[in-house]
Amino acid sequence: MRAPRRISPAARARRALLADLVAAIVLAAIVLHLAAGLGVIAFFGVPVLLVGLLWIGVERLLARGRPRRRRAR
Amino acid sequence: MQTLFVTAISRRRGAARIPPWRRLRRVALLATIICLVPAGLSYVRSIGGPHNISLGIASVEWMRAHGGNGVVSQIEDWYYTLTAPAKGGPPLKSLPQVGVAASGRYRPPPIKPLIHPALKGEGVWHAASAHAGPRPPVLLATFRSDPEYPQFVAGVAWIDSSRTHLDYVPGLAEPPKISHRGPAEVPHALRKRVVATFNGGFPLETSNAGLVYRGHTVASMVDGIATLVEYRDGRIDIVRWHGGSTGGPNIWFAKQNLPPIVYEGRLNPNLSDGPKWGATVNNAVRVWRSGLGIDPHGNLIYVAANYQTVGSLAKILQRAGAVRALELDINEDWTSFITYRRPGAVEPSNLLPEMFRQPTRYLTPDERDFFAVYSKGKAGG
Repeated sequence: MRAPRRISPAARARRALLADLVAAIVLAAIVLHLAAGLGVIAFFGVPVLLVGLLWIGVERLLARGRPRRRRAR
Repeated sequence: MQTLFVTAISRRRGAARIPPWRRLRRVALLATIICLVPAGLSYVRSIGGPHNISLGIASVEWMRAHGGNGVVSQIEDWYYTLTAPAKGGPPLKSLPQVGVAASGRYRPPPIKPLIHPALKGEGVWHAASAHAGPRPPVLLATFRSDPEYPQFVAGVAWIDSSRTHLDYVPGLAEPPKISHRGPAEVPHALRKRVVATFNGGFPLETSNAGLVYRGHTVASMVDGIATLVEYRDGRIDIVRWHGGSTGGPNIWFAKQNLPPIVYEGRLNPNLSDGPKWGATVNNAVRVWRSGLGIDPHGNLIYVAANYQTVGSLAKILQRAGAVRALELDINEDWTSFITYRRPGAVEPSNLLPEMFRQPTRYLTPDERDFFAVYSKGKAGG
């Protein structure tokens, strides 16, 4: 039997991104199918996107302001 | 955007797993972006086309046409309800000047004022053009339409059917599917005879009604709906449609819009009923509204005023002499009645000064369908 391969944190992050992307595509397909039209999607989608980007932006600004802890070796 | 996510990953290199809520947020944002791509492409394609409306109105129109009509109507409903005018207020001292001072001998009876004492010129017909001769084909009048709201002024136009020819002109976007769309403006070749233009009805999508154009059924006709009809012999009428889903051989054009609001001299008893008045703002919301009626002699009567409900619009039409009438388009962006004071579509003038759209509206391609009134006699007269 082969020993389980060690997955690097970067590879794990890439796999997670891929999984999330697939989930997002499936979710988008469902929304596009069920929505009454592209107008409704734009009406709700633009504010969601703006709030999401603002959220990430604020989070990153706060993280930048925080003192960085030294990584334990 | 993708860079943002990948950068986030590379920064967390060596870090522990991403918390589930962050992944959920990422999925939601990615899904939103994917959904917005086709929406954005459709919007840009639509906005990039020819327009004579502002970006804001064009955006709202795009949303309406792409499944967002319910959302837009609901927001408009809330807005107009919140900004509804209060009853009463100081009385008006004068009415807006409409038409020209020239008076002809021939005219329909004046509209009896509702509020006393009447203001100077209230309900009195004025010729729309100074060059119209003794029997002007279009006459204009104003009067205060509601004693509870003494500041509301209704604009009324009377169109002599024996001296004019009415034409239905498709717009750039309305009706959406039509062959031989035409120039979407008053054709240059006909401008020497145009005496008036006015807005059409609701977009087909929101009126759930039919349209016949040049003898071809563009959208299936609906029985029971008020219909402005032009027969192949040039006769005009407003009828309650009972002709089935197609136009029939003697129909040149037929434009339907909602149930009749006045029929055989009487107001529709269901004017305060909701859903049958179209997929738009509630029928009791006070907003710019317009309507078209026909008098007992077959002449057309157009009415427009701000702050009207379907019910109050019907009462204005009835008072102006209409025996059958339908509601036309609503909202300040779409309500227009324009007369041309000199032959050749020169000196266009709105029926009421507070009408939002420019009087040159129909001399450039317009979004929506409209009606043009041409003189049968000499140019402009």
